[in-house]
Amino acid sequence: MSEELEHSFIEQLEKHQNIVHKVCRLYTNNQDAHNDLFQEITIQLWKAYPKFRGDAKFSTWMYRVGLNTAITLYRKKKRTIDTQQFDNIEFKIKSEEYDDTEEQQLKLLYSAVHQLNDIEKALVFLYLEDKNYREISETMGISEVNARVKMNRVKTKLKTILNP
Amino acid sequence: MDELDLLKRDWKKTEDDFPKLSYNDIYKMILKKSSSIVKWIFIISLLEFGLWLIISFALKDNKSMERFKTYDADLILIPLTVIGYVVLAYFFYLFYKNYRTISVTDNAKVLMENILKTRRSVKHYVAFNLIYLAVSVVLVMFIQFDQDEQFIAQIQQASADGELVKYYVIVILTTMAFLAIAIGVLLLFYWLVYGILLGRLNKNYRELKKLEF
Repeated sequence: MSEELEHSFIEQLEKHQNIVHKVCRLYTNNQDAHNDLFQEITIQLWKAYPKFRGDAKFSTWMYRVGLNTAITLYRKKKRTIDTQQFDNIEFKIKSEEYDDTEEQQLKLLYSAVHQLNDIEKALVFLYLEDKNYREISETMGISEVNARVKMNRVKTKLKTILNP
Repeated sequence: MDELDLLKRDWKKTEDDFPKLSYNDIYKMILKKSSSIVKWIFIISLLEFGLWLIISFALKDNKSMERFKTYDADLILIPLTVIGYVVLAYFFYLFYKNYRTISVTDNAKVLMENILKTRRSVKHYVAFNLIYLAVSVVLVMFIQFDQDEQFIAQIQQASADGELVKYYVIVILTTMAFLAIAIGVLLLFYWLVYGILLGRLNKNYRELKKLEF
């Protein structure tokens, strides 16, 4: 592939790399696994880049490739499967900005989100990224109504985990 | 406040916590090789096509196969060989066509369906081969009973000893055992390899399908 293509790809990915980091944050639970998934998403983005058409935003396109890699193409390495690590994961919650209850609640929330299945995580991720239900349904290949129904179920599930 | 909204507020605040990868870091990454399941399915499928080709060539050079050629069995042998290669070509085309449609930029459900479709074409090819193998073995057995001097002599001997039934039972059971072992090994292989490779995809696909009801 041409150097020009390579250059424009790397520049755009460098600019929007947080999207990939956020996908990795949801689907992995330690730094090694995070780096591993980041690497695979980058390769998949790069492989698909020649077909990327400017009519979609690069960032929007990244969500789709990133999530597809995480929930379909990526093969988890054994060492990354450790549910015990969820609670201790390095989510930096800026404690000075929150009271204890909220901080505690956030810790529980992150831990709860990590316990969701891959598809539920994808829905939560898109929701957290301010995607509307049309975009969520287009990314996942389900209807808008079903995306809404599922999202409400996930919300209830999270509520139950927080207030047993 | 909704739990998810609380999470969303924090989610946006923690964006700066991620390490910033440099241009060079990303450049190094794109030079590396993918380890995606699609790549593995592609490699394993090629190996499967290769395996059956090797088996068919190995059988051709086999001594007992040479002996088989001396029988009056062209009417069976030639169509069997032709069918074998035509079906191989058809499945290989199907596999390649499906493989080409796999695109990481499709929506999640379509991507999963395309991967499963590609995998299915190879699965059908293997199923065809197992049936083909079983049919061939049965046909070969009949021809041998009918035309092979060694077999005819053994049948006559068994008949003279009054053990004809025993002889047939032993030959048929041995053949069936050979077939069962071959099929068993292949099934174990599938269970292991595809179980590891596609376990996650299958689970997620089921979850997506479940949302449709």
